[in-house]
Amino acid sequence: MTSPTFADAARDQILGSIRAHLAASASPAPVPPVPRPLSPPDGASNLLDRFTSQLEAVGAQWTLVRGEVEAARALRRILADAGAKRVAGSDATLVARLLPERLTDLSRDELFSCDAGVTTAQWGIAETGTLVLESARERSRLASLVPPVHVALLSTGAIVASLGDALARLDVASHAITLITGPSRTSDIELTLVVGVHGPQTVHVLLLEEGE
Amino acid sequence: MTFEADARAALSDVQLRGALRQAATLFAEKRRAAMATAPDWEGARDRARAIKDETLLHLDRYLAQFTANAERAGARTHWARDAAEACEIIGRIADQRGARTIVKSKSMATEEIDLNTALARRGIEPIETDLGEYIIQLAGETPSHIVAPAIHKTRGQIAALFAEKLGIAPSDDAAALTAAARQALRRRFAEADLGISGVNFAVAETGTILILENEGNARLTTSLPHTHIALMGIEKVIPRFADLEVFLQLLPRSGTGQVLTAYQSLLTGVKRHPDDEGPDELHIVLLDNGRSRMLRAPVTRQSLACIRCGACLNVCPVYRQIGGHAYGSVYPGPIGAILTPQLIGIERAAHLPYASSLCGACRDVCPVKIDIPAVLLHLRAEAIAQRAGTSRFFERRAFRAYAAVMARPRLYEWVMRVARALHFTPPLRAWTKWRDLRPLAPRSFREEWRAGLGRETDPWSPL
Repeated sequence: MTSPTFADAARDQILGSIRAHLAASASPAPVPPVPRPLSPPDGASNLLDRFTSQLEAVGAQWTLVRGEVEAARALRRILADAGAKRVAGSDATLVARLLPERLTDLSRDELFSCDAGVTTAQWGIAETGTLVLESARERSRLASLVPPVHVALLSTGAIVASLGDALARLDVASHAITLITGPSRTSDIELTLVVGVHGPQTVHVLLLEEGE
Repeated sequence: MTFEADARAALSDVQLRGALRQAATLFAEKRRAAMATAPDWEGARDRARAIKDETLLHLDRYLAQFTANAERAGARTHWARDAAEACEIIGRIADQRGARTIVKSKSMATEEIDLNTALARRGIEPIETDLGEYIIQLAGETPSHIVAPAIHKTRGQIAALFAEKLGIAPSDDAAALTAAARQALRRRFAEADLGISGVNFAVAETGTILILENEGNARLTTSLPHTHIALMGIEKVIPRFADLEVFLQLLPRSGTGQVLTAYQSLLTGVKRHPDDEGPDELHIVLLDNGRSRMLRAPVTRQSLACIRCGACLNVCPVYRQIGGHAYGSVYPGPIGAILTPQLIGIERAAHLPYASSLCGACRDVCPVKIDIPAVLLHLRAEAIAQRAGTSRFFERRAFRAYAAVMARPRLYEWVMRVARALHFTPPLRAWTKWRDLRPLAPRSFREEWRAGLGRETDPWSPL
């Protein structure tokens, strides 16, 4: 691809050193077969219950609605309760339908002055109360991070049981996949938990039940 | 000897020891509770270690696969043989991009290569954005714990520091202090043109890097600036995307006692379209700096399985008493005692393998089952093999004599009888300096036994 350079010399030397030292080690220990991990007990019917109870455990809020009309109403109430006036939105069509006045294509400074961000999430993980956001599906990376309030829209049909189940479904065509479990947090000062450091202080999951 | 002096100073620091005790206890409790939520903890440990062993045995192949896939996704990869080379690569990228404000998320590898000093020499000051790292950067200190870098500082000290450096009203409320740091750092994030992060796992199969965190600063660091540089040790690679599951079960539970940290960023190359979010450039710097040498034997190789959770620090009776700084090593605690001598050479860190009581608590908690005591003993042997001179000659003679006596019961009995008669105390100053040697009993157990102890009623025998 490129002509041999100084950089290639470093690469070759490091790989050479790895091979030489591995060859010098007496006998390569036989690698035991890698067993599949146990999946947590799965009851598809209570995925939603487990997901919402885990959301609560990690300090996130949730609202369950049926259909987009109800969802739009709930979204406005959540934003009003949070006192959010300037709301950044992702480019998801669902967000556009529920909240036409959301702000998009914001500059960095404009984004920093927003009160809330609304995105969708592609998956929910019941085991951990985690939201999964994929960049190939939506531009949600900053709207879910910079404003102090993040509202995530998630279809109840997109909740999977475990982290492993989610990893198996992820689209690695995404250059960025973000897993979000509750609000931003730190314990760096005397191990006292403080919620809302660099990311949102409030994470609210608006769960949309399928069907009208 | 500086370790002795530093350890002694730490031992007399009542505030430090209180903070360490509180932290270690809290971390251990949270870890136990989080462990209980894992479906199969022991199975996960075995699986993680097997994956690491498999990777390390074919490290050249997995690194080549990782870099090829990362480049295919649009990342640039760079190889650094040592710390200086890594600093040079990162510094050159920063210069070429004309970076003025650099934001940095927590990375022990950047501490290892002393990146901030190297960048300062180029006239660039990177801003640490993890709250703990930000606190110690303002204070001009270094991290004392892998996971909780500012564990040694009290709320009062941080309040005074923020009042001085940020000009805020003194407050000893953790939430108010955190809010002040958020405010100060938001301005820097808004103007940052370069972000530097570490890497927790690098997936060979996809070229993905994974970064775990709780605060959101790593997400900001890796998504706002135009250029992102990620520094990773060459041991961070794992073969398959699906392997992430087991490591994500182990790392947060072992590190902070969380089932999962608030955020995981899985980054594969750069954005695919100009109007996508995220940096235009991703540079991944792969750091050797002594790591490839550790592959030479199974006992040392296992050190490279470490996922930097910090669990071994929290359970270590030595760390719990003296804290991170006394080790005089970037990586503190039991894992530091085995990593640092191997990274910088045993001759420059000969004290570290001895900074342990070999109790084995570290081995018991290690999520990837590194036998830290075995590595410590191996390194002690290396340290002794390197030492020349008379002290070694006498030490060797003394141990040979000890072995001869212990192997011969009659000789042992005779020697002990003489020692008791003469009230002899062996010249073990190095040992008795920190420990009491009990005086010998007037009569040995064997003598008591012969004199009738053995004929008394055995309380355990059935009637």
